[in-house]
Amino acid sequence: MNAADEVMDICLLAGEIMLTYGAETYRVEETLERMARAAGFTNVHCFTTTTGIFLSFEERKGKEDLMQMVRIDDRMQDLNKVTEVNQVSREFTSGELSVEEAHERLESIYHSPVNYPIWLIHLAAGVAGSGFSYLFGGGLGDLLPAFIAAIAASVALVEFERYLKVRFAAELAAAFLGGSAAIFLVFIGLGFNLDQIIIGSLMPLVPGVPLTNAVRDLLSGDLLAGMSRGVEALMTSLSIASGIALSISLFI
Amino acid sequence: MNLLIESVLTFAAIIGFGIIFSVPRRALLLGGCIGVVTWLVLQTGTAIGASSVIATVMASLTAATIAHLLAKKIRIPVTTLSIPGILPLVPGSRAYFTMLSFVEGEYIQGLEYGVETMLQAGAIAAGLVLALSIFSFGKGIGNRYETGH
Repeated sequence: MNAADEVMDICLLAGEIMLTYGAETYRVEETLERMARAAGFTNVHCFTTTTGIFLSFEERKGKEDLMQMVRIDDRMQDLNKVTEVNQVSREFTSGELSVEEAHERLESIYHSPVNYPIWLIHLAAGVAGSGFSYLFGGGLGDLLPAFIAAIAASVALVEFERYLKVRFAAELAAAFLGGSAAIFLVFIGLGFNLDQIIIGSLMPLVPGVPLTNAVRDLLSGDLLAGMSRGVEALMTSLSIASGIALSISLFI
Repeated sequence: MNLLIESVLTFAAIIGFGIIFSVPRRALLLGGCIGVVTWLVLQTGTAIGASSVIATVMASLTAATIAHLLAKKIRIPVTTLSIPGILPLVPGSRAYFTMLSFVEGEYIQGLEYGVETMLQAGAIAAGLVLALSIFSFGKGIGNRYETGH
């Protein structure tokens, strides 16, 4: 295997990790171009959309250009992996890492589990939900029901995503279950402000990463990626709204 | 007193969100602090009589500016700090009431809430844009004419 092929592999692996776990498009393009240039190749071009990466460069003058693409199927949120890949690319560009070391580091990032255990993520969703229910005008007595409902929504989201292949269906189901849990808790007398409890329990489902990235992508001129990310965020928000609308019209 | 409780709860909620988005450990507390500052700026803006859109722009600009400065300092992607920073501004409440009004058949009321939601979201984006333009000063790319030649 020659050097150009290996550099192509680590570049695309880095790009795949970054794009899958929620980096902005311009960051992916810039990182890949920098890494390829640092390895000594010329005529480097990278084109990235939300669902795929194209990378091409020239090994030396007179030889044919290399060109490869990867398709990105899943889009998740794990900013820790983005940060770590950023670190690897920085060290690779400044010459501290060899190609093999960079490949090893990227492989271990790719296969490493999520930074925090899943029970902690559910707990964090509960804390975030109850905090926001107070900020949106709930009382101190609404903290506990919002906590429980937010945990229910978060658990439902993770479990449904594991079994359902259809996008946005998991968000709809999670919003439905979170809203139903909130309505049930208020019905048995725990908590008073139903609206604030429901809002709080749904806040952890808000697609914060795609929304922010959509703005950033549109501004840096990646119009295609920005539009598609924006639509993704909009669809997620709409499915959350339909889920909660369903539970409200069923139970109230 | 009320402000103190709100600040503590904002801090806890933002840390929770940071864990959901899997923000690296060293940025977790910083993100929480930026969130609290954002919330305080928003409250100050509302208290001195600015409209909620203007207050949101101010708060979002503050959050994004701090995020840019800190991100450069501890060498971390800006998003890991700016996303927790702008979370307290997300118009979740208005979005919910938009949906509620439509479910109850009050379409005019729903449109009003919907427009407010869009304006609020636009204000967050505007704050991010302002901070970005400040920090990309001197890296112009040119939209219509080739300047700098």
